[in-house]
Amino acid sequence: MICRTSEVPANGLKECELDGGMKLLVANSGSEYFAVQATCPHQEVALCEGMYDGNVLTCHQHLWQWDIRTGAAMGMAEAPLERYDVSVEGDAIYVGAQGALNVGELFSGIGAATLEALARLARREEFAAGQALYGPGDRADDFFVLESGRVEFRLGRGENANPAGFMLKKGEVFGWAALVDGHSQRIASARALEDSALLRVNGKQALQLLESDPASGFIVMRRLSALIARFLADAGAK
Amino acid sequence: MRIQVNARNRAFQFDALPGEKILYAGLRAQAALPYECATGTCGTCKARLVEGRIEDAWPEAPGRKFLKADRGEFLMCQCSAQGDLAIEVASFVHPADPGESRVGHVGGSVRSVRPLTHDVSAVEVTLDAPCEFEAGQFMAVSAPGVVGMRGYSMVNFEQPARRLDFVVKRKPGGGFSEWLFSGNAVGARLEMFGPLGKATFHPSAGKNILCIAGGSGIAGMMSILGRAAAAGCMERHDFRVFFGIRTLRDAFFLQELSAFAKAQVTIALSEEDVPELVSKQWPGLRFERGLVHEAAKRAMAGRYQDVRAYLAGPPPAVEASIRVLLLEAKLTADCIRYDKFS
Repeated sequence: MICRTSEVPANGLKECELDGGMKLLVANSGSEYFAVQATCPHQEVALCEGMYDGNVLTCHQHLWQWDIRTGAAMGMAEAPLERYDVSVEGDAIYVGAQGALNVGELFSGIGAATLEALARLARREEFAAGQALYGPGDRADDFFVLESGRVEFRLGRGENANPAGFMLKKGEVFGWAALVDGHSQRIASARALEDSALLRVNGKQALQLLESDPASGFIVMRRLSALIARFLADAGAK
Repeated sequence: MRIQVNARNRAFQFDALPGEKILYAGLRAQAALPYECATGTCGTCKARLVEGRIEDAWPEAPGRKFLKADRGEFLMCQCSAQGDLAIEVASFVHPADPGESRVGHVGGSVRSVRPLTHDVSAVEVTLDAPCEFEAGQFMAVSAPGVVGMRGYSMVNFEQPARRLDFVVKRKPGGGFSEWLFSGNAVGARLEMFGPLGKATFHPSAGKNILCIAGGSGIAGMMSILGRAAAAGCMERHDFRVFFGIRTLRDAFFLQELSAFAKAQVTIALSEEDVPELVSKQWPGLRFERGLVHEAAKRAMAGRYQDVRAYLAGPPPAVEASIRVLLLEAKLTADCIRYDKFS
C-alpha cells in the first residue's frame, strides 16, 4: 500500500514514498486515482508543488503539463511522465510499476492486447558499460526500448566519430530505422554508456502486429513521426 | 579553447574566449543551450563535466543547490574552460533560430542614474556599439568590482538601440544595486551579455496583451508597450496592464504609462487604500487596493479570448498570477510568457 484514499485531497495531489525511498505522486480525479513519477522530467522539481485541476498536472517551474490519466505530455512538455498501475481496495491505494514499453514515448496508451503481444515480441537484453549495440552499416532489423541505464550514439567511424546524442529515460525508443521502410542499415553506432537493460523488438514483426490493430498503429506512427521530427528539428523548427 | 557539448539529440562544438563563461560562448556560437537567469540563481544551465577542467567563478552561486556535485555537475553560466572541454547537457539542444537577435558581449558606460522612488532608480547606459534586441528581453550585467552578474530588463525599445535603459531596485546587501546607489556609478564601464530571455513581444503576435508586473518587473513591460504602441498594435488589440506596488510612494513610470492612451492600465496598491485625489491626478490610470494578481483576476474575468500574458516581478507575484491564468482563466501554458531571472 502506498497511501490511503483519505490522504489524497479531492482533485488534489499527494506525494508518497515507497519502501526503498522512491517517491511517487498520487492524484485523485473524481472517483479515480492515478500515480506518476514525483518529479518533473525537465529539472527534477517536485510535482506535488505544481498545479492540478483534477485532470491536467502543471509543473509550476516551466509550465510543462501532462494528462494525469496517461502521463502523456501536453502543451510545452517535452517528455511524458512515468505512470504507475493503481488499484484501490477499500481505502488503500496500491501501485505497481509499468513495463518500459508502456512508459515509452511510442507505445503508451495503445490497445491492451496489442501492447501485450508487443511485449511478447520483446527480448530483454543487458549490456555492460562500454559494450557496443550496433555500428554503422549493420542491419537495422530491430528497435530498442530503454529500460534502465544510458545509451550513447555516434555518427561516423573510428577516430572521426562524433557524439550524436544519448538516451537516458526509461521507455525511450531508439534504432527506429527498423520501423521505417527503406532504412535497412544503421547510420550511427550505439553503445551502452552505463550498465543498461534494453528491450529488443523486431521491427517487421512489430509493424505486422500494428497492421492488425490500425487504431494502435496510427497512434504509434503519429508518435514515431513526432519523435523523428524532434531529432531532426533544426534551426527555426521550434 | 574548444568546447564540445553532448546534448540529448546531438553534439555542438564551439570556441570559448579565455575566462568566458561556457553558457555565453555557446549562445554566441548559436547553440540554444538551456538557461533562464544566466546569472547563477535558477540552475537551468546545469551540465556535467565529461572531460577537461573548469573554473567556477562563483562557488557560492545560489543555483548550485540544484546540482549534484558528486556527479560532476556545474552551472554553465558561472564556469569557464581551462583548456579543451567535453560536457554533457541532459536536454535537447537545437541551433538558435537565425531570425533571433545575435547574442554576445556588449559594452557600455553608465550615462545617468535617476531616482524614480526612494528605492528604485532608472539607469541609462550608452552602448559602445548599437545592439539589437526584442521587446521583453534582458541583459546580464556586471559592474566593476562586483562579483557575479545580475539580470535587468530593457525598458526602452529601439532597433537598433544605441542606449539601454534599466530599472534597478535597491536591495540591501545586493552587490550590484549597492554599487549603483553608491553615487560612483555614473561614467563607469559595464560589461553585459545578451540580449537574453524568451518572454518577447513582436507586433506580428496579433493577440490581446495582458501584462501583470510587480515592482521593477514593469521594466520589460515598458519595452513591450513601447514597441506595440509604435507599431500601431494598440489600435487593433486590447492591451491591459496591471502594475502592482505596495503604496503610492513606490509608484514610478505613471507618466509614461498614462502616455499609452490606448492601453488600460491598473495600478494595484497592496498596502494602502487608494488615496482620494490620485485618480484626479492620473485620469488615464485606474487605481485599486489589492494584490496585483487579484486585481488582474477581477478585471479580466470573461476577457481572456485570444490573450497572451506577460508576467514579471517578485517570484510570489509571478507564481500567483500563473495560478490565476492557468487554473481559473484556463489559459494554455503557451499563452503565458515569463523569464525566471530574478
